[in-house]
Amino acid sequence: MPRRGCNGMARAVLRNASGEPTIARLDRDRPAVEAARRDPARFEALYRKYLAQVYSYALYELGDHHAAEDATERTFLRALAALPRFEERAGADDPADASTFRVWLFRIARNAIANERRTARRRPSTSLEASLEAGLAVVDPHDVEGEAVRRDDAAAAIRAVQRLPADRRRAVVLRLVDELSTAEIAGILGRSEGAVRVLLHRALRSVARDLSRESDSNERRGVTS
Amino acid sequence: MTAGGPADRTGAPVEALELDVHLDRLLAAGDRHAGAVPADATIDPALLGAATRLHSDLIRFHPSFRFEERVAARLAALADRMHLPAAAGAVGDPVPGPLALATPAYPELDAIASGAYDPSAPEGQPVPRTVLIGGAMASAAISIAGVAYVAWRATRPPRAPMARAARAVRSDRRGTGSAAAWRRASRVVRPS
Repeated sequence: MPRRGCNGMARAVLRNASGEPTIARLDRDRPAVEAARRDPARFEALYRKYLAQVYSYALYELGDHHAAEDATERTFLRALAALPRFEERAGADDPADASTFRVWLFRIARNAIANERRTARRRPSTSLEASLEAGLAVVDPHDVEGEAVRRDDAAAAIRAVQRLPADRRRAVVLRLVDELSTAEIAGILGRSEGAVRVLLHRALRSVARDLSRESDSNERRGVTS
Repeated sequence: MTAGGPADRTGAPVEALELDVHLDRLLAAGDRHAGAVPADATIDPALLGAATRLHSDLIRFHPSFRFEERVAARLAALADRMHLPAAAGAVGDPVPGPLALATPAYPELDAIASGAYDPSAPEGQPVPRTVLIGGAMASAAISIAGVAYVAWRATRPPRAPMARAARAVRSDRRGTGSAAAWRRASRVVRPS
């Protein structure tokens, strides 16, 4: 029988292989998922909750907002159609913030993005930096100077991330933009947690090198001008 | 310690593990523009700086309101198809209608609903091409219709007098041939 833990996380007493009772953490999206299984119209709550995360993941991966929209739409439609077959697999070892629905949804997104990448090669795309320009233009119209600096910094960070190999970029976006745990990223990418940590470590090392090189060249340009 | 240092029990270098703990703290701090998060002195400051910079500068994008509502409407149409209310007095579970009808741009939805295709499976599992199958079925239907038309047309008497005359000659020859064949068959089959 599921019950609430002190952190609000649903828990259940299960029996392990030797018959001893163990406490398993359950998917924090479980109530919403069960409601959507009973009435598919209630899937909307999960859609609204994860829309920005899935869209951002697609946008950083594809670099074009039309393609990102297509992949996002496909992800949620596929998820709803497959929801009756979704199996929760939360285990006792999962971290407190684990959400197996979220991992499953991002796996669907990963495949939808791969499909989209194959078809999107044939059409022109806008750059992620242009999307960023459009996104940041409305953040704070009163602080133009601060806005420009922020935009430059963000553009430099995006350039550094875009230069990373695909697997490292994916790990960085899932960890720092979508704020997923290492265990969740491992589940999405089909790798071990250790492998994901190494990917992140190497990615941040490359980004640090890139950003310092960029700031050096900016300083040199500032001195010469 | 560097990436090439001793490995922890999951195989990741120690600094990668420490960095991961730091990232957890950074994300737990919540506000992207919050001040520096206390870090372990053993981690390379350049790595910590890159982590903080990416966390504050890589923003999470939100799609347009128009897009959000359009997809919500499509999901609602799909949900309707998945959960058709049972008619009054009906026995058994409601039967969902074809899901692809709710969103014609995505014909793979019926394959997903039937379990023929798992959209979360690792890459390599082919997406069912129901459109292609539909196309093949359509072309087969056209072929069958073509064969039926030719067969029907062959049995119709032609309207032109010359064609009628040629047909009469041919049927006469065929009739002779048929009679001879019938006689041969009769000889074999008939008991003596």
